[in-house]
Amino acid sequence: MIIESRELKMKHKIPVGKTERFWKGLEEGKVFKTFCKCGKSYYPPRADCVCGNTTEWAEVSGEGVVECFTVVHSIPAGYEWSKPYRIVIASFGDVRIMGWSDEELKVGDKVTLYTAKDGSGVWKVWFRRL
Amino acid sequence: MKVGVIGVGCSKFGTRDVTIQELAFEAVSEALKDADVGQEDIDLSVVGCVGTRGYELMPAVVVNEYCGFTGKGPIRVEAACATGSAAVYSAYSSIKAGIADIAIAIGVEKMTEVDTATSAAIGGRAGNYLWEFHFYGTTFPAYYAMHATAHMAKYGTTERQLALAAVKAHRNAAKNPKAHFQKEITVEDVLNSRMITYPLKLYDCSPISDGASAAILASEKAVKEHGFDPIWIESVGYSSDTSNMTMRENYVGLKATRMAAEMAYKGAKITDPLKSFDIATVHDCFTIAEIMAYEDLGFCKKGEGGKFVENGESDFGGKIPVNTFGGLKAKGHPLGATGVAMVYEAVKQLREEAGSLQVDLKHYRALTHNVGGTGHFAWVFILGR
Ligand SMILES: [Zn+2]
Repeated sequence: MIIESRELKMKHKIPVGKTERFWKGLEEGKVFKTFCKCGKSYYPPRADCVCGNTTEWAEVSGEGVVECFTVVHSIPAGYEWSKPYRIVIASFGDVRIMGWSDEELKVGDKVTLYTAKDGSGVWKVWFRRL
Repeated sequence: MKVGVIGVGCSKFGTRDVTIQELAFEAVSEALKDADVGQEDIDLSVVGCVGTRGYELMPAVVVNEYCGFTGKGPIRVEAACATGSAAVYSAYSSIKAGIADIAIAIGVEKMTEVDTATSAAIGGRAGNYLWEFHFYGTTFPAYYAMHATAHMAKYGTTERQLALAAVKAHRNAAKNPKAHFQKEITVEDVLNSRMITYPLKLYDCSPISDGASAAILASEKAVKEHGFDPIWIESVGYSSDTSNMTMRENYVGLKATRMAAEMAYKGAKITDPLKSFDIATVHDCFTIAEIMAYEDLGFCKKGEGGKFVENGESDFGGKIPVNTFGGLKAKGHPLGATGVAMVYEAVKQLREEAGSLQVDLKHYRALTHNVGGTGHFAWVFILGR
C-alpha cells in the first residue's frame, strides 16, 4: 500500500552579488573569469582567492579546444522545455569553460564562445566551431 | 588499535515497498545476528544517507529509533554516492580514537519515492548546482558520459567495451538474490538500449534502487574480550576533487581515486594490487566508471581499461575478479548503502560465505573502492582475514 506525502515546492533565492560582473557580462555577450596576483585563475569566477586576496576580472575569449562532451537525452526536472542538449567543456588557456552547443562538436574541435539565452530565458555560454 | 568488521547485513536492493527505517532494519538485524550482539552492545551508531529523494529529509534519527539505537548517536554523514564509505570510516575512526569499542555503520537510501526526472535533477546537483546544473542541466550520467567521450577520443575505448562491463555485472547479479537485476543481458541488449546521455545507454547505467546495508565494527580489545572472528580493516585511503567539473585536470580518469588508492596502498604496504587482492569491489555506477577504476586503482595502465574487461581480467578466473555480487550497475546503487554493501561483499568473500559467487582465496585480502559524485569524493578500504 502506498500513500502520498504533503506537497513541498522548493525554489531558492541565490545571492550572486559577489560575482555580479559575470552575470551582467553574459547579457553583454562577455564571459568573465577571475585571477589573482598570486598566480591563480578561476573559472567559474570567484571574488575571493584561496590565498586571501581579492581577485580581479578578465574576459575569456579567443580559441578553445573541446575536451569532452555529451548529449543529454534523459531530461531532468527543470529542463522539460528543452529538446536533447549537448554539453561541452572546452579549454581556453588556463581555464576550462562549460557551455551548450547546437553544433555536433567532437573532442579536439577548435571552438569560439558566445552568450545567448536558452529556451527558458537564462543567459549562458554557447560554443560554435571555428 | 586494530579495527575489525564483526558483523554485516544487506537488504534486498530494488524498488522496495517499505519505509527507510524498515529497510535499514533489514540490514541492521542481519548484521546484529551475524555478529551475535545486541543493540545494548553498540556504543555508537552512524547513519549514512544522502536523503534527498525520500519523503524523510532528515532520516538519521528516524532510522536510529527504529533500529533500536536511541541514545547511541546517531551521527549522520553524507558524501554523495560515497556516503556509505564515509559512514564506515566514521565508525572506524571513533574506534581508532578509543571513543567507542563497538560501532555500527548503517547505509540506507530510498531512491524510488520521487519520479525519474526529479531524481535526475537531484543527482545533477551532486556537483556544483550554481555553476553547472543551473546553466547546463548536467545530470549524473552526463558527468560520466563526458568522461566516456574523453576516454574514447584519447584511448580508442569503444561502446562495445563499455557494454562488456555491463554484461559481466548482470551475469554476476543474476546469481545474487539480493541484486536489483536478476537477469543476464548480451552486448547487443546494451548497444540497442535507449540513449540516456551519449554515449551512455540505459544498460550502461546503474538502476534507481532502494537498499540498505550495515557493518558492525569492533576494536581489537573488544574482539579479544568477546571472542569475535573479524575481518580486519588493514588500511583506508580517502581523497576528493573539485565540485566544479571545469576545474579538473582532465576527463580520462578520477584523480581522487588515484590519491585514495595511493594512501590505502601505502598504509597496507601494497606495491602490486594484482598480486595483493583476491577480489575488488569498484565504483561502477556507469560502465565507463568501472573502466576508469581499473586504471586509477592500478589494475592496468591508463587507457587499457577497455581491454582489461574485454580480456576477462576482471571476471572470475581473471587477474582480479571485480564486483562479484553484480556491482552498482546490476546489484543496484542506493547511494547511502553502496559503500557499506561493498564492505559486506568483501567480508562475505573473505569468510568464504559467497556461495556460487565465491572467489578462490590466495591473498586473503579484498579492496573496496567507492566514489562520491564524479570523483568528488573517493574512498578505498583494504580488508584482510
Ligand atoms: Zn591568490
